[in-house]
This record gives sequence, C-alpha cells and structure tokens, in this order.
Amino acid sequence: MKLGFYRRIQKGLKILIHSRPFSQSWMGRSLSMIQLMELDACTHCGMCTSRCSVGIAFEEIPNINILPSEKLASIKALASGRPLEEREIRDLQEGVTLCTNCYRCTVVCPVGIDLQNLWIKVRGLLLQRGIPELSVLSPFSFYRGLMKEETTQGDYDRPLTQAREAIASQCDLLRNREKILPLTSADRRLQDGLNLSTQAKTFSACFGCQTCTTVCPVVGNYDRPQEALGLLPHQIMQAAGLGLRDLAFGSNMLWDCLTCYQCQEQCPQGVCVTDVLYELKNLAVKYVKEKVL
Amino acid sequence: MKFALFLGCQIPIRLKQYETSSRAILERLGVGLVDIEEFNCCGYPLRNIEFKAFLLSSVRNLALAEKKKLNVMTLCQCCYGSLKKANFLLKENASLRKEVNAILEREGLPYEGKVEVKHLLNVLHQEVGVEAIKKKIAKTFKGLKIAAHYGCHALRPSQVVGFDNPVSPSIFDQLVEATGAESISWPMRLECCGAPLWGINDELSMDLTLKKLNDGKESGAEYLCVACPYCHLQFDAVQKKILAQRGVDHSLPSILYPQLLGLSMGIDSGTLGLKMNEIPIIEIERLQTEQMEIPAQK
Repeated sequence: MKLGFYRRIQKGLKILIHSRPFSQSWMGRSLSMIQLMELDACTHCGMCTSRCSVGIAFEEIPNINILPSEKLASIKALASGRPLEEREIRDLQEGVTLCTNCYRCTVVCPVGIDLQNLWIKVRGLLLQRGIPELSVLSPFSFYRGLMKEETTQGDYDRPLTQAREAIASQCDLLRNREKILPLTSADRRLQDGLNLSTQAKTFSACFGCQTCTTVCPVVGNYDRPQEALGLLPHQIMQAAGLGLRDLAFGSNMLWDCLTCYQCQEQCPQGVCVTDVLYELKNLAVKYVKEKVL
Repeated sequence: MKFALFLGCQIPIRLKQYETSSRAILERLGVGLVDIEEFNCCGYPLRNIEFKAFLLSSVRNLALAEKKKLNVMTLCQCCYGSLKKANFLLKENASLRKEVNAILEREGLPYEGKVEVKHLLNVLHQEVGVEAIKKKIAKTFKGLKIAAHYGCHALRPSQVVGFDNPVSPSIFDQLVEATGAESISWPMRLECCGAPLWGINDELSMDLTLKKLNDGKESGAEYLCVACPYCHLQFDAVQKKILAQRGVDHSLPSILYPQLLGLSMGIDSGTLGLKMNEIPIIEIERLQTEQMEIPAQK
C-alpha cells in the first residue's frame, strides 16, 4: 500500500521532470530524478559559496566553477541541453575536482539541496569523458580513494592514468633516452619559474650526494626505482638546475611524492627538496594546462 | 587558556569521534575552545596545484583567528603543517605578505602575523603538561602496548614547525605513557602513513601503509595511536581495504589519542565514539584497571 502510493508520486514527478528538456541531454539523463529536481530548486542565494571550504581559491585560480553556486548553474545548463563549449566543460570538471568533499555546502543550503553528492556524481561523469584533469594527482583525490568501491576499477583508474599520460605527452625528452644532453642550462624559464618561495630556489645548492634519494620511502619501495619513478629526487634537483623541464615534469617521482619531508629534513646542503617538488608540480600543472587543455 | 579550534575539512564529516573526544578531554583539562564558522580549507591539497591559492587559503584562517585575538589549535597534522608553513612564509617574505594581504583586505582581514599555530599534542604537552594530565587520570591501562605514530607534517620540516626533536621526538610517547600504557619503540615510527598518495597511487600507498603496520605488529604493538585525521583514515578505513585486498589476516587497529586519553579519564565510550572506528577498538576498554593505583604514602 505504502509502496504503491510512493510509486504513484514518483510517476507523477517523472512526468513533470521529463516535460523539461533535461531528458534530452546526457547530463540530464545521468542524474537522478531528485538531483534534477534539486537543480530546479536552487534559488542561487549564494549561501554555499559563502561557506565553501575552497571558495577562497577562486581569487588565485580564475575558474568560477570553483564556487558551488556557479558550479550548480553550469550543471543545470548542461542538464538542460544547452551546449557548453569544451572550455566550459573543462572548467566545470576542474571545479568539481577542486573540492575537499567537506559537505559544508550540503549542510548550509537553505533549500536542502544535497550539493556535495551532486558534485561527486558530476565529477564521476565528467572524469570519464576523456579530458585529462591534473588535479586528480593531488590529495583532493583522497576521498575518491575512500569511495573507490562505488566505481568499477576501470572507471576509477582512468582519470589517474589520463592525467599522467597528458603530462608524459608533453615530455618528449623522457622517451628519447639515447639523446645526449648539454651541460649548460637548456631552459632558463624552468629555474626562473621556481621563485614562488625562497625555499624553491635552494635547488641550486644540490651537490648530488643522494641523501634525499636514500631516505625517500617511495624510492625505497622499489627494487629498480628508476624504472617505476623516472628521475629520483636528487636527479630532479639536478634537472631543475639544468632546466630539463621534460625530465622533471615527466618523472613519476614528482607525482608520487608523499611530501613527508624526509629528504628536506636530511639534506646536508639545506636544499628544500620537498618544497622544490611542490613548486615543480605547480609549474607542470600550469604548463600542461596551457599545452593540452 | 583558549584556542580557536581548527577542525579542517575531514573531521566534521568523516571523523566526528575525533572532534567529540577532543572536546571532552580538553574541557576536563580546562582548555577553552572557540569555534570560528568562517574558517576554510587550510590549503593543504591546493599546494600541489597552485601555491598562491594554498597560501591565501591558509592565511585567511590565520587572519580570522587574529581578529578574535586567538591562537589556533589544529587536530589535523596536515592542517598544522600548512598553517605553520603559511605563517612562516609570511613572516620571512614581505612581498608575499603584501600580495596576500591585498586580497584579504577586501574582506577586512589583513594579517599581521600575530597568530601562533599549535597542534593538539603541543597543547597537551606544553600548555597543559603531562603532570596535570596525570592528575585527571581515573583508570590506567596495564600492559597495553601502543605504537605512537608521530605524523610527517607535525615533525617536518622542523625548521618551520618546531614541533619536537625531528630525529628523536618524545612528546607523543610521554602523552601515551600518561595513560599507563607502554609506548613501544618501533623502527618505522617516524615514517609516513601513506595517506598523501591514497587516491593518487593506491598500490604504492598500500605498500607503504602495510610496511608500517607490519613493523608495528612485529615490534609488539597492540594498537596504533594517532593524532591526525588523514593518518587515522589511512590506518582505519584504508587498512580495512588493505586487509581484504592483500589477504592480511590480522589488523593493527588505530586509536585516536583523545580516545585513549578519554578512556583513562573515565569518559564514556559514546562520547569518545569508540564504536565509530571502522576497525574495532572496543576491546581496549578491557585492558583498563578499575581503579587508579594509589601511590604509596611516604
């Protein structure tokens, strides 16, 4: 009896929803009925944005989809079948990925929209469309990992592989192992780019003693670390000095760094190894984004 | 003694027991907590993507605390490391300070650099003191072997965080031993839990976590003790996945420090959220002696 009543209500709601253009777009078809209703229910009051944990990042990363209220507007447009430009879809993808999954948006929404689960759903959908998203290679992916049983192994791994492939595709030198390298700086822009903090400039003090590499738990995890990781920490410091951007950006070591700071703590030359790796990642994200995305 | 409590993004939604147990022990120890609703992400995950976005996020929190004339206490070691780093950078680099403040001033939140960032363990050890904690102990643990996990972002880079001796730290061991438990010495105690790579390279992350767990077990530990949501989620939720995926037969359960201390203070297991840990820790209660030993009178 109870179920029958519920089904009738659901049927009535489905007619309402399907009378809207939602059913014609892939996004509209992929979201649940409740989520489509929620898209309609948003009053764009901005409460979610005012309390968003990462909203402040918008000041430095000019992508309006970082802000929840704007993210929702983009999703609504996509679900309504409005063709979004490739650029806009990429921005939305970045917007739903740069999220700490703190659920504050859901908690504060005065209409009661479950915003967090909408981002999670849309993130899942967009990341399967083949556009590489480099921010999956950051602790923003921690929650995605905790929830990995909810996706198939293939769908789970794909965005991670794609991001690494997008980086590797811009690093020709990595594939050309026979090439003889000059000992003068190949690209001064790389060294000049390592300038956000004074710590990042310390790479030039590296004298190649390999202490960083010896104490690195990631390096220690492999029998043949160079096969798995590419350049090792001390070699990345040297690559920064020589301006060998491809080798630094393309090495898995950079993206598999734990940021545990063992290397930096023990460097006899005071090279802030972890801080250099952090800034190299920033430069790589920027570089690859400009080239591929 | 009053602090602005910085919970970060993980604890309020995924680890409520860390918050409730921390509040309970701190209340008994006379540490006042102020909640600042406007706090945002500490910037930790943003640091991999965009340095200035990290810095701005971090400093905004410090500015909010400064406005209330409070120092910040974090429960998360990654938040602690990020806020410490931001504080350090702004102190040494005038041009960064100017740049960040130009944005924050629009919100009326210029940061002058007056805030001190502390982690829960610092507060317990330095501000409250081990002796004062011991006075509040109602039940002691007898023969319980604990492997204290320090956590990378609390210890290093020592020049920035100044948490404890980075090579031979002892504050966490002292705090564990205040409950009567034995804080064992184990070779990998200062290594990373593996959490920073969870979701990025799961196989590698599991390798590192498993090594650490095995080392703890081989050294005789019955429980791991942690004071960071990332470390705990890695040793709890992720360990559960590792046990299934790698066919490991027995676990090394993780207990949050305020849960351990809370039990010794006689706080009920509901408030401490003992049942909320994924790998059960409820058995630990049995290892407590009913009454505190009365020291012999001289």
